Amino acid sequence: MTTLEESPVVAGEQTVPRDGGSRFRRRPPQRRAPRPPRVEGPPSRTETASAVLSTSATMVALVTLWMALQMLVLGAVSQERSQSLLYDEFRSQVAAATASVGPVTEPGAPVALLQVPRLGLQQVVVEGTASGDLLAGPGHLRNTVLPGQAGASVVFGRAATYGSPFRDLDQLEPGDRIEVTVAQGKVAFTVTSVRRSGDPLPQPLAAGKARLTLVSAEGHGRLRAIAPGDALYVDAEASSAFPAPSGLPPTVPDSEKPMGTDAGVLPLLALDLALLLALTLGVIAARQRWSLVHVWVVATPLAIALAWVTTDAVMRLLPNLT
Amino acid sequence: MKRSLTRLVLVALVVGASASTGVTAPATADRPQPVTPRAVAAGDAWSRTQSMERELVAADGTTTAISDPATGKPWQVTVTADHTRNLRGRERVGITWSGAQPSGGRANDPFGPGGMNQEYPVVVLQCRGTGDAVKPETCWTSSFGQRSQVSRSASDATWTEDLHALAADTAKVTSAVGDVPGADKCPNVDRTGLLYTRLVPFVSAKGQVFPACDAKTMPPEAASDAALPANEIAAYTDGDGKGSVQFEVRTDVENESLGCNKQVACSIVVIPIVGISCEAGSTAVEKDLTVVERSCRRTGQFAPGSSNITNVGADQAVSPALWWAQSNWRNRFVIPVTFGDPPDTCDIVDSRAPTGFYGSELLAQAALQWAPAYCLNKKRFKFQHNQMPDQAGFSLMASGGGAAALVSSEYEAEGDPVGYAPVALTGFGIGYIIDRPGNAGEYTNLRLNARLLAKLLTQSYTGSSFGAAHPGMEQNPWAITKDPEFAALNPGLTDEALEAGATLLSLSNSSDVIRQVTAYVASDKAATDFVKGKADPWGMRVNPSYRKIKLPREEWPLLDDFVPKAGTECKAKNPSTYFNDLAAPVSTLRKIAEALLDAWPNVQTRCDTDLSVTPPIYKLGRTERQHYGDRFMLGIVSLGDAQRYGLRTAGLETRAGRYVAPSTETMSAAVKVAQPKGRRGPFEMDMAELRKAGDAYPGTMVVYAAARLQNLAAEDAAKVAQFIRIATTEGQHAGSGNGQLPGGFVPISDAGATRPLFDRAQAVARAIEKQKVPAAPAEAGPATVNPGTAAAAPVGDPAAAAPAAGPAGAPEAVTMPPTQAVSSQWSGRLLPVLLLLGLVFAVVSAVSRVVLFRSRR
Repeated sequence: MTTLEESPVVAGEQTVPRDGGSRFRRRPPQRRAPRPPRVEGPPSRTETASAVLSTSATMVALVTLWMALQMLVLGAVSQERSQSLLYDEFRSQVAAATASVGPVTEPGAPVALLQVPRLGLQQVVVEGTASGDLLAGPGHLRNTVLPGQAGASVVFGRAATYGSPFRDLDQLEPGDRIEVTVAQGKVAFTVTSVRRSGDPLPQPLAAGKARLTLVSAEGHGRLRAIAPGDALYVDAEASSAFPAPSGLPPTVPDSEKPMGTDAGVLPLLALDLALLLALTLGVIAARQRWSLVHVWVVATPLAIALAWVTTDAVMRLLPNLT
Repeated sequence: MKRSLTRLVLVALVVGASASTGVTAPATADRPQPVTPRAVAAGDAWSRTQSMERELVAADGTTTAISDPATGKPWQVTVTADHTRNLRGRERVGITWSGAQPSGGRANDPFGPGGMNQEYPVVVLQCRGTGDAVKPETCWTSSFGQRSQVSRSASDATWTEDLHALAADTAKVTSAVGDVPGADKCPNVDRTGLLYTRLVPFVSAKGQVFPACDAKTMPPEAASDAALPANEIAAYTDGDGKGSVQFEVRTDVENESLGCNKQVACSIVVIPIVGISCEAGSTAVEKDLTVVERSCRRTGQFAPGSSNITNVGADQAVSPALWWAQSNWRNRFVIPVTFGDPPDTCDIVDSRAPTGFYGSELLAQAALQWAPAYCLNKKRFKFQHNQMPDQAGFSLMASGGGAAALVSSEYEAEGDPVGYAPVALTGFGIGYIIDRPGNAGEYTNLRLNARLLAKLLTQSYTGSSFGAAHPGMEQNPWAITKDPEFAALNPGLTDEALEAGATLLSLSNSSDVIRQVTAYVASDKAATDFVKGKADPWGMRVNPSYRKIKLPREEWPLLDDFVPKAGTECKAKNPSTYFNDLAAPVSTLRKIAEALLDAWPNVQTRCDTDLSVTPPIYKLGRTERQHYGDRFMLGIVSLGDAQRYGLRTAGLETRAGRYVAPSTETMSAAVKVAQPKGRRGPFEMDMAELRKAGDAYPGTMVVYAAARLQNLAAEDAAKVAQFIRIATTEGQHAGSGNGQLPGGFVPISDAGATRPLFDRAQAVARAIEKQKVPAAPAEAGPATVNPGTAAAAPVGDPAAAAPAAGPAGAPEAVTMPPTQAVSSQWSGRLLPVLLLLGLVFAVVSAVSRVVLFRSRR
């Protein structure tokens, strides 16, 4: 049950990252050719050890690199698609006057369109700031009014992963414009301050005015682009505002606060991992009946899909501003 | 098993010894032993002696006096009241008397109308006015039958024979005030000349006259099932002529018609009933006397000391129903009492915005007396005590929502450092109201140990046959009265199992009191073993739902979800979690104290069926009030409440067999054990040390005013420092006046055992006042505020928003707190680490593959 049975799996798994199926066709003869001289006896201990080492190192490398790949590249694609769908949905809702004006909106639904000309940023803001909501785009903190309504509104956005809509937030300067379109109309904000830890909070807001606080994270040092560790706030104010409905929830769960993580995804994650395990066992079983090519063709899309879903679930366990 | 047996023997041995050492509460005084001596100001206690006798005049004018058979002289009755000044609503005053005629025919419920069928009792009433201004019509009764005699036959008209009554008052139909109202108002008054009527109207504080001829012509507070039970009582005198009662006074908050308050003087009137003195009979032959004359000369049908369980009629001439008749009324003792400021004084007289101190309910009674000393003095700020769970109060203070918190233990400060200044030394008690069987009076010497508390808290008594069906608790007694362990500690109590005896009324929310109670349980090995699942020596096991519950804890959860199957149709149609109904914890200690005061357990197992409609309507609710003589109830109370409402508190076991009740000595002994933490932290009272000390009361708790040492506005800091200084000096003088320390608290002084508390308070007051400038901005700011709410909060602040609403661009001089630090290690390091790991392992993989490939070749 150890090395002998594992070897086909190892072979099958190793093939995944490598491109080009043609090499596999040639490989079996290559492996068989040198074998006859040493065909007697089981593989030596060094051989077993290095085979195990090699295999596990490959697996770890695969998992980590896939995660990094999805967070930085594939996630951006996914986020782009979500934005496209959300934009269409929000546009039709605004046109039909069915877009939400608060105070309570279903999490994940589009609530505003955010445009920052200086950064060339255009994003549809969704309701909710949990890690999972922010995979689709910037999220609106649920215990604040909607952007553009009288009062303080807070919008979170990711700084490094999944399209990183707020990656350049630190480049904003007081005076820059932020335009927000909500169900009630369009409001232009002017950035008043860029705040970091220790800076004084903005002055109390005059009655009838609107404030928008964009929250993201920023890193320091050479890896700053991919290591956003500390929260960053951009305050913007508008002199005119739409009336805000009453009845805001007094608080939000910890998972929706800055750098919040959502442990509620653990059951889903367990299911995803179980499916991955099932896929692995399936590949082992299939490899004993079918040729490598068939297994490859069938298993690859499944493996990628499952890996994608699993990484999405893992993302919800990570801080929401990442 | 063996250990427990020796324990029991020890208990039995020490019970006798400890009673004489004074460690347990002495059983002599009926009033619960005060935790701290009440104010001994002149005129607070009251005492007087009067002589009284009953005279029966014969036809020939000779007088027979019914007097004290022991001396042959008139009864020399002495009445004392333990305190009479600055009373608060529902406060109980201990009234004792001696030398009175022994009572007979004891009633089950001597309060209000229930006490009328007794003989020779002592009637205690609350009346408006003092001295001669007190008249029967200003005295409160909660039913018309206690004051008026309406349409009585001749045998029940003994007042008309009253020797001392005015001639006008002995007519057939009379009223003590004005004329008898017409038939439209009092239809039940017989005007045919056949029956006798005497009305004793009630005159309210506003001057309105209620004729009191039936229930409709009584003040609104006298409605049946009124919010508060009757406080007037026809109390029982024992065979030795002594008696006592805890009389509850009512202010105009509780009883507006009576209308007693700080301005309207009132009295407690004590009337020992000696019987109606009868005027000369119509004939010398006893047989030929008229019916009314004969009944006036009756001397009672119950033997002294007997009970009247079935509530049959007593002889009217010696019953309490005629307390207003001159023969009785002239023997009255009028005890003048004064009332303190009402609880809403500060709201009315001081329009300044209050500064809230948030937290512990333990301080409630002290804060009630302290607050007027602040708001009535314009040089001081307006102090307001807002009761809430200690944890919530602390969080509010730490996040800048409150100037200071009032807590009894240390909490983790996430932002600014916090200083703890001791301001009061008090604690919790296990309050009880228990009657000894057979009308023998209240039980005064309850002893409890940690395991009994553990059994009560874990709901391991089953309450009734419903609970006995709970799996795993088949061997458990139904109630604590059935528990041999309890019976050994408290001999001579009833062994009936009441549902109220299966539970300890406790708090539903988090509190330092619960933490202290559970710490006490956790400090005892027998109790923790029981909670872990070990049976006690009598085979009782912990409720499986609470098995291995973590102790100590701040909040006691309701964990049992057992729903009994059997039962009445009402219960079958309304299945409910039986043990939760039994426990039914409440949200404040005051509610527990009032439940004990009313002897009204909060057990919610009653199930009523209304069959008048189809389908029938079912209603679950609270059980009935307990009857006088059969009361048994336990609850966690604060010592301040216990003192105000006159509740008894149990002695708790410290060392094996040693039971310590709260008192100045035992609580001071607890302070000696306390170890200060840090330079400005609270004192830590280790429960194991407390118990080892032996004579220290384990329920002792210190209430601290906790405030931030940095970033507190200078104005608030000055107020908090002022409060600490005043509370630890002026506020520690025992007394009932404004600003003084009420009973239930041990004064903190700069001498003796409480000196460390006093010194710590002064040091912390200085530190709070100084407000050192924070060392680094990163440390500043409360860590729990999220930026969204922090940004939103000032919007609602009128003081801050007002200047900003002026001309645009006007500079605002509001100092805002710094942005809090929010950062995440995960967020900051995940991606680089991920990439690094990926690359490293990719290289390892490649290298090992090459090695493998080579070795194969």
